[in-house]
Formats: sequence, C-alpha cells, structure tokens
Amino acid sequence: MDIFLNIQGLFPFLFILGISPLLVGLINKQKALLTGRIGAPLWQPYFDLLRLTRKETIYAVTASFVSRLAPVVAFAAVLISSLMLPIGYVKPILSFNGDIIVFAYLLGLARFFQILGAMDIGSSFEGMGAAREATFAVFAEPIYFFTLGSLAFISGHTSIYDIYHSIRLDNPTSLVFIIVSSISAFFLMMTECSRMPIDDPNTHLELTMIHEVMILDNSGIDLFLYQYSSFIKIMIYAIYEASFFNPFSMQNPWLGFSVFIVMLLLLTALIAWVETMIARFKMKSIPQYLLFATAIGILNLLIYTFVRQ
Amino acid sequence: MENVLSILFCLTLLYIVVTSRLKTYVSILRTQGILLSAIMVFPFINHLSVHILIIPITSFIVKAVIIPRFINKIVIDLDVKRIVEPSIQPFNFLLLTVASMSVMFVSAHVLSGFTPIEPIPFASAFSAIIVGIYIIIFRKKLIVHVVGFMILENGIFLFGTSVAGEMPTIVELGAMLDVFVVVFLMGITINKIRSTFTQQDVSVLGRLKD
Repeated sequence: MDIFLNIQGLFPFLFILGISPLLVGLINKQKALLTGRIGAPLWQPYFDLLRLTRKETIYAVTASFVSRLAPVVAFAAVLISSLMLPIGYVKPILSFNGDIIVFAYLLGLARFFQILGAMDIGSSFEGMGAAREATFAVFAEPIYFFTLGSLAFISGHTSIYDIYHSIRLDNPTSLVFIIVSSISAFFLMMTECSRMPIDDPNTHLELTMIHEVMILDNSGIDLFLYQYSSFIKIMIYAIYEASFFNPFSMQNPWLGFSVFIVMLLLLTALIAWVETMIARFKMKSIPQYLLFATAIGILNLLIYTFVRQ
Repeated sequence: MENVLSILFCLTLLYIVVTSRLKTYVSILRTQGILLSAIMVFPFINHLSVHILIIPITSFIVKAVIIPRFINKIVIDLDVKRIVEPSIQPFNFLLLTVASMSVMFVSAHVLSGFTPIEPIPFASAFSAIIVGIYIIIFRKKLIVHVVGFMILENGIFLFGTSVAGEMPTIVELGAMLDVFVVVFLMGITINKIRSTFTQQDVSVLGRLKD
C-alpha cells in the first residue's frame, strides 16, 4: 500500500470543498427556473452555511455524547472519502490499491453515525427516518459495488484513480459501458444524496421524508456539518459520474477539465429536470427502483466477462 | 456494434419489467423494433444491396410502426385502463428476470466455447424470449399478452441474427407475416369480446362459453 502525498492532489480536494455548495445552488436555481420561479441566488447555500455557523447549538435533554459525536464523524468520513477522487488526470491525495472499498465504507460510516445520532436524540420521527435510511441504504450499496466493481473487474485495478485511468474511448464497448454505468451511477446519486424520486429534500412533512427528518433536531454547528457533508456528497457522486469522461484529458489536460466542468453542468441540469418532472415515489416502490439500477450493474458485469475473455 | 445494440436491447427488457404503464410498453416495443432493424443492417453496412435491405426495412415498418400503432389504437378504442395489472410483486419479478438473464449469459458463455455463436446477442435474444414468456405468465391484461408475445418474437429474431449471419429471407418474411396476423387476430378478438367482458382480463376468460 503506497499513499501518495503531493501538492497537486490538493487541487481536487479544495475544488470539492469550494464548489460543492455552488453545485447545489445551481440545481436549486435551475429547478426554480423550470417551475417558473426566479429562485434564490446561486450563492444561497454559502449564505445558509455562514448563517448556521453563527447560530447557537442546542441539544435535546435526552441526547447523550453520541449526538455530539455523530455530526463530526459523519463530516470527517465524507471529507476523507472526497480525498480519493480524481479530477481529470490530477492524482488525488489518497490513492492506494483497494480504495474503492474504503471509499464505499467511509460513506457507509458517515451514514451509520448519522443514523446513530438520529436515534440518540430520542424523537420518534427521527427513529423512523433512521429506519428508512438504513433500509434504502441496503438496496443502494449493491448499485455501487456492481457498477464500480465491474469496472475494477474489467480494468484489473482496485484504485479509483487507476480505474478511471483505464477507461478508453476508442472502442465502442467502452462507450456503451459508459452509457450503462452512468445510468446506474445516476440512480445511485439520486438515492445516496436523497434527491427527488427517492426523497424530497424540500419537504418538511415528517411522514414523507427520509434524510431531512434525521436532522430535524440538530441546530447550529451540527446542522452546518450535516448540511455541508450532504453538499459534498452530491459533489462526490457528481464527480463519480463525470469522471467516466476522464479519457478526454489524455490528449489535453485543459480539454479534459473543460469536459469535466461541462459534464457537471449537464448533471445539474439533469437533476433539476428529473426533480421537476418526476414525483416522489411511494415508499414501497423504492426498493424495486433501486433493484432496477442494481440489475443494470449486474448486466454490466455479465457483459464484461465476455469482453475480457 | 452489434454487441452495443444488444446491450441496449437488454436494457429495454429490464425496463419493461419494472414499468407499469401501457404507454411505456408500446414505446419499448417500438424501440426494440428500431434496435432490431439496426442490428440486422450493421453486419452488411459495407456492401448494402436491395436484397439485404428487404428484411430490415420490412421489420422496421412492421415492428416499429404498424404494430405499436395498432396496439395504441386498440387501447384507445377499447378504453383499456392504462395501468398494467401484475399478478406478482414487481420486485420479485425483477429478481426473477435478473436471475434468468444471468443463467442465459453464463450458458451463452459456455456454448460459445463449442459453437461459433456471438455470445452477447445470443444471450440477449434468449433473455428476451424468457422475459416475453414471463410477461405472458405474470400479467393479467390481454393486450399486455400481445406485447409479451411480440417481445418473445423479437427475441427469436435476434436469435436468428446471432446464430446465422443471414437468415433465409423467405423464412424471416414468413415469421413476420405470422406475427403480424397473430397481433391482428388478437386485436379483433379483444374487440369482439368486449361486449361480454368490459375489462380485458384473463382471469375472467374461463367464463367464455358458447
């Protein structure tokens, strides 16, 4: 296991930290425009975060040390997992063999602590949200492993950076792989970031929401940590999807970077469009939706056993 | 390129399993028709002739234009409820389909060691046949059975292209005519029994007597 530390690797990390609220602002703005409103300014997520840092943090009387610990651990886990993602051909700070599994389980750890924190507060609503989050996480995890796992299987690498490096655009099979994987990666993103068809990020009706209900009793700096980590999570999955087009930076790093930015913009437009067009699913049809994405991943794996032979 | 189109064909199969709208069924049928005609053209893209183009063009016209339009017409004429009534949980149906698809892909992998077949089109063709049969088994509406039958037939077409590079023209045209007539007859039958059965559901067909 060799961990590379270099100054250049700081760039993706800082990029993710700085741009992620803007990405959410972009999504919200486009959503507002599509529904015929003017919407909040692009910088609104930054203002929200700034406001939260100035607020007082209040804990419930039933809360133990777990609810003080949970936001910090969740935020830290998301931050560390964001250290592993490449942007273009820039090598990330953390990159070693097998980091796809570490990546998945760091995000899993973040979710685990969020669930623990929600249950610790002692409100029945938050327990319900935690139960839902845990249930859907069970169905979402196979999507990740079948998509990136089949990629690892094909390329023979187990590091995110190496896997994205090994994608080539010159043969049509790679191209169809990109199409198929991006469909399931998009489903994964919508699930993990609790966006519209799975969960409504704007609703504040306790019975219908999953993610938002878990952070109902958090305030101040805790809420800041949760909000910021959810912004970073969206950015992480957006990069996960946009990096399928990494090979463009082989000819020219700046071309690759601009393709990457264009992909991010297209992705925000797609999310806004999907959220405007599609109503939230019934709770009982969510597992089926997630299994559909898993099935696409399995199809990927099946197909690429043939290509490898 | 054939492989790419076959994979897209597989994706349409997965989608038809999870969707529950009649409109989507018909549009998937149309997509499959377009994909199949493209698959038939691609191996001969460098030396096209009228003789080769007969089958793709006919299949495009029949599968992608006439039959979907006809099914849409039946749906509108009979005022069928636009939602597909399954007799199985969609989740279980999807699991079953994925399992059968995996079996098909593995067996295609084994078979390709002995015989000169193209594994991916072969496996997608067999998956289509199986999904077609499943749709006929697990759905209640008569009109959906027609769609299931069409998917089965699409699978047989794809199977033909994966086993032999070029099927005899007369066989393909005969099969196409058969299917067309079956869909047509099914439409007429559904039309005729509507005075007796207002909801076109197979569970009540047992009561159909002279």
